[in-house]
Amino acid sequence: MPEPLGADRLLALYRKMLLIRRFEERCNALFLQGRIPSTLHLYIGQEASATGVCAALRQDDFVLGTHRPHGHALAKDVSPRIIMAELMAKATGCCRGKGGSMHVGDVRQGVFPAVAIVGAGCPIAAGVGLSARMRGTDQVAVAFHGEGAANEGDWHEALNMAAIWKLPVIYVCENNLYGASTHFDKVFRVAHVADRAVAYGMPGVTVDGNDVEAVRDAAITAVARARAGEGPTLLETLTYRQCGHSRSDACDYRPDDEETEWKSRDPLTVTGARLLAEPHSLPQSALDEAEASVATEIDDAIAFADASPAPSPDELERYVYWEGD
Amino acid sequence: MATQVLVPPLGTNVDTVTLVNWYKAEGDAVAAGEPLFAVETDKATLDVEAPAAGVLRGVSAAAGEDVASLSTIAWITAEGEALPAEARTNTDAHGPTRTPTDARTPLLPFPPSPLPSLTPRASPWAQTLAAERGIDWTLLQGTGPQGAVVGRDVEAAALAGRRPAPTPLAARIAREQGIALAGVEGTGAAGRITREDVLRAADTGREASATRTGASGAGAGGATNDIVETFALTGVRGKIAERMMRGSHATAPVTLTAEVDATALVARRKALQAAGLKVSFNDLLVCILARALGEQPRMNAVFQGDRAEVRRSVDIALAVDTDRGLLAPVLRGAERMTLAQVAEGSAALISRARSGQAGPDELKGGTFTLTNLGMFGIDAFTPIINHPECAILGVGRIKPTPWVVGDCIGIRQALWLSLTFDHRLVDGGPAARFLQSVVRGIEAPGAEDEE
Amino acid sequence: MAVMGIAEALREGIREEMRRDPTVFCIGEDIGVPGGWGGAFTVTLGLSEEFGPERIIDTPISESGFAGIAVGAAMTGMRPIADVQYGDFLFCMMDQLVNQAAKMTYMAGGAVKVPLVMRAPVGSTRRGAQHAQTLEVFFTHVPGLKVVAPSTAYDAKGLLKAAVRDDNPVLMFEHKLLYGSKGNRAEKGAVSPIGEVPDEDYIVPIGKGAIRRPGKDVTIVGKLLTVYRALGAADQLAEQGIDAEVIDPRTLVPLDKELILESVRKTHRFVVVEEDNRTHGWGAEIAAMVAEEAFWYLDAPPVRVSAPDIPPPFAPGLEELYVPSIDRVVAAVKGLF
Repeated sequence: MPEPLGADRLLALYRKMLLIRRFEERCNALFLQGRIPSTLHLYIGQEASATGVCAALRQDDFVLGTHRPHGHALAKDVSPRIIMAELMAKATGCCRGKGGSMHVGDVRQGVFPAVAIVGAGCPIAAGVGLSARMRGTDQVAVAFHGEGAANEGDWHEALNMAAIWKLPVIYVCENNLYGASTHFDKVFRVAHVADRAVAYGMPGVTVDGNDVEAVRDAAITAVARARAGEGPTLLETLTYRQCGHSRSDACDYRPDDEETEWKSRDPLTVTGARLLAEPHSLPQSALDEAEASVATEIDDAIAFADASPAPSPDELERYVYWEGD
Repeated sequence: MATQVLVPPLGTNVDTVTLVNWYKAEGDAVAAGEPLFAVETDKATLDVEAPAAGVLRGVSAAAGEDVASLSTIAWITAEGEALPAEARTNTDAHGPTRTPTDARTPLLPFPPSPLPSLTPRASPWAQTLAAERGIDWTLLQGTGPQGAVVGRDVEAAALAGRRPAPTPLAARIAREQGIALAGVEGTGAAGRITREDVLRAADTGREASATRTGASGAGAGGATNDIVETFALTGVRGKIAERMMRGSHATAPVTLTAEVDATALVARRKALQAAGLKVSFNDLLVCILARALGEQPRMNAVFQGDRAEVRRSVDIALAVDTDRGLLAPVLRGAERMTLAQVAEGSAALISRARSGQAGPDELKGGTFTLTNLGMFGIDAFTPIINHPECAILGVGRIKPTPWVVGDCIGIRQALWLSLTFDHRLVDGGPAARFLQSVVRGIEAPGAEDEE
Repeated sequence: MAVMGIAEALREGIREEMRRDPTVFCIGEDIGVPGGWGGAFTVTLGLSEEFGPERIIDTPISESGFAGIAVGAAMTGMRPIADVQYGDFLFCMMDQLVNQAAKMTYMAGGAVKVPLVMRAPVGSTRRGAQHAQTLEVFFTHVPGLKVVAPSTAYDAKGLLKAAVRDDNPVLMFEHKLLYGSKGNRAEKGAVSPIGEVPDEDYIVPIGKGAIRRPGKDVTIVGKLLTVYRALGAADQLAEQGIDAEVIDPRTLVPLDKELILESVRKTHRFVVVEEDNRTHGWGAEIAAMVAEEAFWYLDAPPVRVSAPDIPPPFAPGLEELYVPSIDRVVAAVKGLF
């Protein structure tokens, strides 16, 4: 079992989750002001999943995000500045304004442009893992995906190949109960996505995806197994999307009591309470300081994006092909 | 009943395989299903089982040979049974037994795209070439798909009628020697006719005419009139043709002639030249015309549709004989020019026209035309109005002429003026007064450039 | 200088690239199984003996999956050479090729490269509707992909090497009747593009076409098998006094437009011959390009000789009507004079 976290490190994870939460809330506000010209798939409610997994990774490990990628990128320390600039369609954005919300990433942090085709990132992550092994490194690859991806062919093909070749990959299935508006129970006969791991001969683990420590502990085990050459793990994090699928979704298909119940298990509430309680016993001011510093960081990101130019028309046809380092 | 031993078809792409070896020899007994021979494809070596029990007979392929799929390479017969006739006749054969698929007649289910049947029609390339060479493609006979005019038709027309101009020297020699340039093969750049070409043609022409004379002397009957040159009225020629037709058919032309004493004009030109001003008779005449036209403004009129416009500016079109035909570059604003300016301006203009460098704007839009055939020994003629102008003055040669001077007869330098004007615009009286005015200008030159 | 066919030339090209660069590897179905086939058309035959199963990777029958693996490996410093047994299977991996490989560099604002090669056999060879299509045009339409189509052994090796060294996803289409392996050589309708292939290292640059036969009266453009149909037609036309120029673009994207246009500006007539279905096809694009950029040089309309708008038929007699024949090319050319 991984070592339990001390107060400082747990506070750092709390702050990371808070950064994602406040970043997404500000994005929502900017969208309503017309300053972000696209729909957004917000990560609100799921922060513990990306934060916990990325806490188990090194800077040189790889992450593939999904169409809901802001949290994955922030968790892997991609600068909020260049994510915000990308969302606001600026030339300084992490994709130079070519990608937008659904493709944010920064390869310098091991985060590829997010793959917004459901399930398609899973075989790519296997390839990244294969590459790490062929190049003789002990890097690992993480493919974040929703439970919806587990019904795509690519997912099955990828998990099978990762398993037969023992590739250093962690498939993190963020089960937020809904694929767009379709409930899990309508499209799965198994109780947990992780139950399917047995079909590929790999460990399948289901954890509370709103508990950042639980996610981190499971990820540490999976990463260690991958680095040791023992193969992939399917890690299912049970969580809940506290907002709509995208900006246009009012979530009328979800029962109120379900929403209420999940909100009571909000990852920030859970971890915040834990920090204030024994054995950590931090003062409320520690959380307030985190709140203040996160606000400053996001203000800075928005100021950076505001001050940045839009992509020049000259850039229209660039980067279709590789132009060099 | 004998059974064929066939080479199995081993794949959709495999038509021949290599026979690796036989497990049985001619005359051996074989059991159905036991390995009989082995074949090799690119992918594998495979054993082929005997299709029947009996005796192996009529083996026609040896180990190492390439054999076609589905060809018969042996037979299995019952003990004592004779080989079928086909096996005996086909001793060397292991060719394919199936019908070759290429025996059928290939169909053409997709005919080439139909072409529109518009006429006349020219391909884009023919139109491009025609524009480049100044050829009117609508006059050409097309030899392309469905009679379309194509590039080669334009090229043929260009070769026939519109070759590059001969060099000026070649043109002069041809004129002097009376040689038709159309029959001369050009060896210069792009087929341009050079001095050498003309001289060569002159030589062969003499030989040929000697021969021809001999032949006709030998009693050849009906002399044929060979076509020396065919050319279309296109380009410059077409422009000239159109203008001349309009000048002679769309106007009411009247020609007035007058003989004039040009002794003073000749003397004046000499004096000017001695003073270093290179000036032609035409230059002097332009100045005289400018003054006369000022006095008779209606002679300086231009037709515009159904009305005539009297112009202030005297824009004299100068008829120039060039290698490409008659051109009339326009010297504009002559009434404001000194003689020196006229001389300089017209020399440059004529030089540009002769070398083909005059712009299209320089070749149209005159108000009055001056044409001089004096250098060809012509005295008087009936010039055709350069439509839409009102009048044209033709100038003949200057020659010493007996002339009544006072009460005596002297020798004066005389010349004929031929003025053709459009009677629709101007009546005989004003036209005659204009001509008189010109006569006075010639007889008393100098006034025109004193200011 | 050795004489070989396209399959061998590709094999030698792969072998040399794998020896030169340890990041190059092969991945596909049935490509390295000991005692196996070396891929559907023997191209990788024997390579696993030299490079082992670690670098000649046999996959499950998971086309989309191994395409994604190739994409992921290419994004992280490797240079995979993937292949499908039949080009038709590319449709199983369409998302990985079109949404992922082709767009990754663009979506990343130029920060990621995807140097992968995907080889695919195409062409009608009595396999019917799902193993005989000509489908280059599905990929020539996708920005971000490069597409090559070698028709000679020399080009096959040279383009393979250029593709491996290119930093973009390159699709390499190979015609089943042109592999030049023994069985194929014997097949009816197959041509024999056996030629001299240098032993020393060389590449055929991507984006450079070749004039296979110079001529002055008509420009015929073909690719893969139809290059040979065009050459056969040119021979017949020569007997009738028509001097055809045959052009093989070799690379479909980026296209050597100037080579074709220069030829059309000289010959004033243009025919494109393709095994593709006619409507919205590759030939349509080439013909449109000629019409747009060389219109004023044309003496006749640009003409396509194509397969009809039907799936490849199985029956040999029908298949012969499907693939443009020399006779059809000759007839089309003569219609322009």
